[in-house]
Amino acid sequence: MLLGAATLTILAACGDERAALTPDLTAAALPERADAVRGRQWISDYGCLACHAVPTVRGPASSVGPPLGNVGRQAYLTGLLPNTPDNLVRWLMDPPAINPRTSMPNVGLSQAEAEDIAAFLLSLPASPEPS
Amino acid sequence: MSRWKRVAAWLVAAMAASGAALGAAVIYFGWYDVSATGPHTVPVHALLDVALTRSVKVRSADIDVPELDSPARIQRGDGLFRAHCVQCHGAPGQAPEPYALGMNPAPASLVGSARERPAAEMFWITRHGIKMTGMPAWQYRLTDEQIWDVVAFMRVLPTLSPEQYRDLPQAEPRASEVGAIPGATEGRAEAPSEAPRVGDAMAGRDALQQYLCVTCHAIPGVPGARHHVGPSLAGMADRSRIAGVLPNTPDNMRQWLMDPQQIKPGSAMPALGLREQDARDIAAFLQTLSNVD
Repeated sequence: MLLGAATLTILAACGDERAALTPDLTAAALPERADAVRGRQWISDYGCLACHAVPTVRGPASSVGPPLGNVGRQAYLTGLLPNTPDNLVRWLMDPPAINPRTSMPNVGLSQAEAEDIAAFLLSLPASPEPS
Repeated sequence: MSRWKRVAAWLVAAMAASGAALGAAVIYFGWYDVSATGPHTVPVHALLDVALTRSVKVRSADIDVPELDSPARIQRGDGLFRAHCVQCHGAPGQAPEPYALGMNPAPASLVGSARERPAAEMFWITRHGIKMTGMPAWQYRLTDEQIWDVVAFMRVLPTLSPEQYRDLPQAEPRASEVGAIPGATEGRAEAPSEAPRVGDAMAGRDALQQYLCVTCHAIPGVPGARHHVGPSLAGMADRSRIAGVLPNTPDNMRQWLMDPQQIKPGSAMPALGLREQDARDIAAFLQTLSNVD
């Protein structure tokens, strides 16, 4: 029965894909210059791994902040701000401006760097299991 | 017919018969738990979920979506949403009413639905309702135009912060205006409470269902808890902070669960009216969610 349910789940995931009701929540809404490959590099360079687990970026596991594999599906950033691509860039550039009590520091990203990182985070595939 | 074919045929028939007998026994002897406090088993939940997904998808395939961007339409939808939807589904920073917290299946967080489901499906579900879920059909209560108004509003719902949602201008002021959540913590008959005991993780796992945690969070091992309105709770025991602001201790978790707004004003997580013991138990359960062996 489990097997049947699993098969059905996979089948159900296939088929025609219509856009979700709320538009413009994907990386497509970012400026064209945003580049996911560069974003992945910024994540290494700025030491994001000191606090976050990031899929495809290797480093010591840390759980000071939440893992970033599901940022694209997350409805809110820091529980306060709707997770739109624009807001994600704002948050990355200056977290304390949005949540003064957050443990996440302002690491001094430029607008373009933050857009690259947002493009990378939004490009990560959704993982089916809680992670 | 050759011998092995006859044996195989008998075998298949016998298996079908015993399967049917087992199914009938489960039903007749009341082995399956229909209570709202006992969640479905994982396979049953998965099966029902697929049935729902497929049914909605197939039936909404031919619906034409009208224009949903007009501010007037969105504002009408906002009024209808506050009048008819928020009581069970809640809204950013606003908890559902107490009666909705005990529903199983739990009413979905519509912020999550709008981020995942297409417009036609949202319209279909609102219009026709869903059997045995508590979701009523609005077809006989609202016109199709009005249902599209609601869909148009739900379209912008995921882009609103709790504060923006609260401050949206309303067509006419109503007595049941939002703000503090009446009924979430006050006016509730306090169940006779036993002396507080230390948190019990198993009791916490049951309590999770009753405060709709599963509608917003992905929680390993809990059927149906696969939403990303709030953060995933996988590995919660390993995190150093709660909501990014509070050191992750059981007592801080208890306080956070009982009143998120006091600890982090403006949080999308509403106060759900947890009793102290339930908060202790859920905190104990969350302590079991570790990725570190």
